[in-house]
Amino acid sequence: MQVTLKAEELKNKLGFINHAVSNKQQLPILLNLLLEAKESKLNLSSTDLEIGIQVELSAEVKQPGKITVPARTFSELVNSLSADSLTIESDGSNCVVKTNKTKSIFATMSANEFPRLFEERGVLLASINAEEMKKELNAVVFSASIDIARPSLSGVYVEQEENGFLLVATDGYRLSLKHFTAGKDDKVNLLEGKSSMIVPARAFKEALAMKEETEKIELYVSINSNQIIFEQGSIILISRLIEAEFPNYEKIIPVDFSVTASFDREEMLKAVRICSIFARDIANVIKFSLQKDKIIVSAGENIVEVDSKIKGEENEIAFNSRYLLDALSNLPSENINFEMTGPLNPGVFKTAEDASYLHLIMPIKVQE
Amino acid sequence: MNDRLDTIWQHVLKELKKKVSTANFFTLFANTGLLSLEDNIATIATPSTVVGDLLYKRFYKELKASLDEQTKENNELLFIVQALNKSPIKEKTGPLFATELNGLSEKDRKTTPILKTEIKPSQPSMIGHLPRVRKEYNFATFAVSSTNQLAFVSSQNVAQNPGQSYNPFFIYGPVGVGKTHLLHAIANHIYMQNPEQKTIYLTSEEFTNEVVEAIKNNDTSRMKKRFRTAALLLIDDIQFIEGKDRVQEELFHTFNILIDQGSQIVLSSDRPPQEIKKLEKRLSSRFAGGLTVDIEAPDFELKTAILLKKAEKYGWELSIEVAKLLANGAQDTRSLEGLLLRAITLATSLQQSEITSEVALKALGKETEEKRGSLHADDIIKEVCNFYSIKPTQLKGPKRDASLVRARQITMYMLKAELKLTLVEIGNILGGRDHTTVMHGVEKIEGQLEGNVHISQDISGIKQLLRV
Repeated sequence: MQVTLKAEELKNKLGFINHAVSNKQQLPILLNLLLEAKESKLNLSSTDLEIGIQVELSAEVKQPGKITVPARTFSELVNSLSADSLTIESDGSNCVVKTNKTKSIFATMSANEFPRLFEERGVLLASINAEEMKKELNAVVFSASIDIARPSLSGVYVEQEENGFLLVATDGYRLSLKHFTAGKDDKVNLLEGKSSMIVPARAFKEALAMKEETEKIELYVSINSNQIIFEQGSIILISRLIEAEFPNYEKIIPVDFSVTASFDREEMLKAVRICSIFARDIANVIKFSLQKDKIIVSAGENIVEVDSKIKGEENEIAFNSRYLLDALSNLPSENINFEMTGPLNPGVFKTAEDASYLHLIMPIKVQE
Repeated sequence: MNDRLDTIWQHVLKELKKKVSTANFFTLFANTGLLSLEDNIATIATPSTVVGDLLYKRFYKELKASLDEQTKENNELLFIVQALNKSPIKEKTGPLFATELNGLSEKDRKTTPILKTEIKPSQPSMIGHLPRVRKEYNFATFAVSSTNQLAFVSSQNVAQNPGQSYNPFFIYGPVGVGKTHLLHAIANHIYMQNPEQKTIYLTSEEFTNEVVEAIKNNDTSRMKKRFRTAALLLIDDIQFIEGKDRVQEELFHTFNILIDQGSQIVLSSDRPPQEIKKLEKRLSSRFAGGLTVDIEAPDFELKTAILLKKAEKYGWELSIEVAKLLANGAQDTRSLEGLLLRAITLATSLQQSEITSEVALKALGKETEEKRGSLHADDIIKEVCNFYSIKPTQLKGPKRDASLVRARQITMYMLKAELKLTLVEIGNILGGRDHTTVMHGVEKIEGQLEGNVHISQDISGIKQLLRV
């Protein structure tokens, strides 16, 4: 293998591709990147078995071939190089990286040992504006559980809807829901035989981190391989789908409410931040008291007033400060409507502009 | 997947487990299964293309060797992607999904669930019950994970086809892993199917007493008759007949007769038959003549699952975070239950309706202090180094490679959390580092403990090595 490429381009992509490099010392092949040179392209792949990333770079290929290199050392080297272009050569056993003034040699493992990331792309599910999708996803993904022992909750539920998707994520204490509607230039195909699926939250989080110039992001699903692929520009992100039953989220979404309060997200976030300092010692409990024209946010004796328009009876509810901070930092609007029925039923946060999004949090029962 | 394939696959995995580290084993084999085995082609389900391909490239030989040994045939392996739905533990969906709206929940939730200890009526009711066998020990109340799955599946097999599948059935493992539970579960299951059959459950000490008593009264015939007409004989802690020649002889004869008439024999011990010293050869070879399975000390996932099950039994809802906290603090299942009860009592005394992580930590606080004396800073350093395959000199040295830093910070965290050393002390132990460095390290790990699965996995792995 012999290939020459721009160092800058390689540096830009290495950061992301390292996201999928395993940290398991015991499976050495997964500590490596796979480099494949063919047809004026250099493909780099990494996988930790949960997700896989493949990146395509344009390069001058003098001799095609493939080789693996230890991901960490290779990345460190490339990031330290100051030359404009570099050449990667290999005779199958060693890998040599050269610039005009440097020469570095890596021990490698056989490229045949590197597992194949995917068999087929599958069916095109959607081709949508990446910025839009990422904005909407941000408001949902954070609610997913990080607990791998609960597979269904560690993913985002995706259900096909007319010209869009329903996205739901929950960890059992809070839940985010978004009806995502495709834009004018977007394309959404209905998938036969699979109207809903659970995609690992991690895959979505990585998809959010893809930084490509290309405007569209494409989603492919393969039922045979039980996998989803995100493709944007030169990056392909592969993840398995979660095979589990998503809990019945519909039954826990309140249909009516007895009081509603509207407030400014930023102002409320600041109030909760202040209270959370004092909430640490009291099991992170933060209380909302909904009064005539304000919400009193409190942690024990410490209070912050937030201006708010209240409709309905005065009421109280308490939440875990962590969930409040998460929610208020991620809600996709500045104007928030908060709805509740009583101190023991979930509190619902909605955006004032449209009804396609909601976030609900299980309250904490406080003893008087 | 039928039971036979499942059993074969469990045996194969057990072999593989010896060759692969625990963390890897879980990622690679957690969702695999043997789908079919026809014409010497074994079709193996894998969760994704990349895992399937890696198994094919890296573990084909090992899997084949083990499978061939199991089936005594020459097999070809085929890997396909297929999701298996076999999570033995029902997924907890959290309190959000436990509530019913429209005010109904309010009333229900107000009744604090303090010590509703009655066992759920969902368990199959039994006509009468067996002497010495506890009803609540059945298969449904047994929490299963990879460490005890083989024992669990085999026990179910034995209970479903007594005298036919594995005879004798020999379970061994350290204290508090559930041997007795499985024995009771087998007895209960068989008794429910067929209450007329004669079932005898006793410990080897009781067996010894009966033999001694009979010899003393010169009346061995009655005792012989009692044991030799049993359809199911379960003896717990069989290792205690070590060195008791007369008892062994009696057992030997009883054993032969029972096996001949097709009665099921189930034995438990803390070690495999061949390692029970002062046991006659003819007995130990007979003990090992059926199926011998071991139960390992519960791993972290299992301990968490057990806690959740037990909490349910006492009528308390336990969040997964709290269960993890508690699971980390206990070595075996008995101490788990003790911990849980302590947490429940604490929560009750604080008039809380839920076990918060604060309460759990308080319950743990006492627990860790009791243990602390035996643990030494050098042990922690040794095991951290073992875990990450690095040298202590590297750990204490000045290098700041990412892998070393991670190991070092985890060491700092563990020295602080386990031994309650001061920051300065920890700094000195780790090659004279500044106490602020240590503080940063400890805080970093604490901060990631919840969010980063790798870190919490690593720490529980190290704790297992340390046996804390």
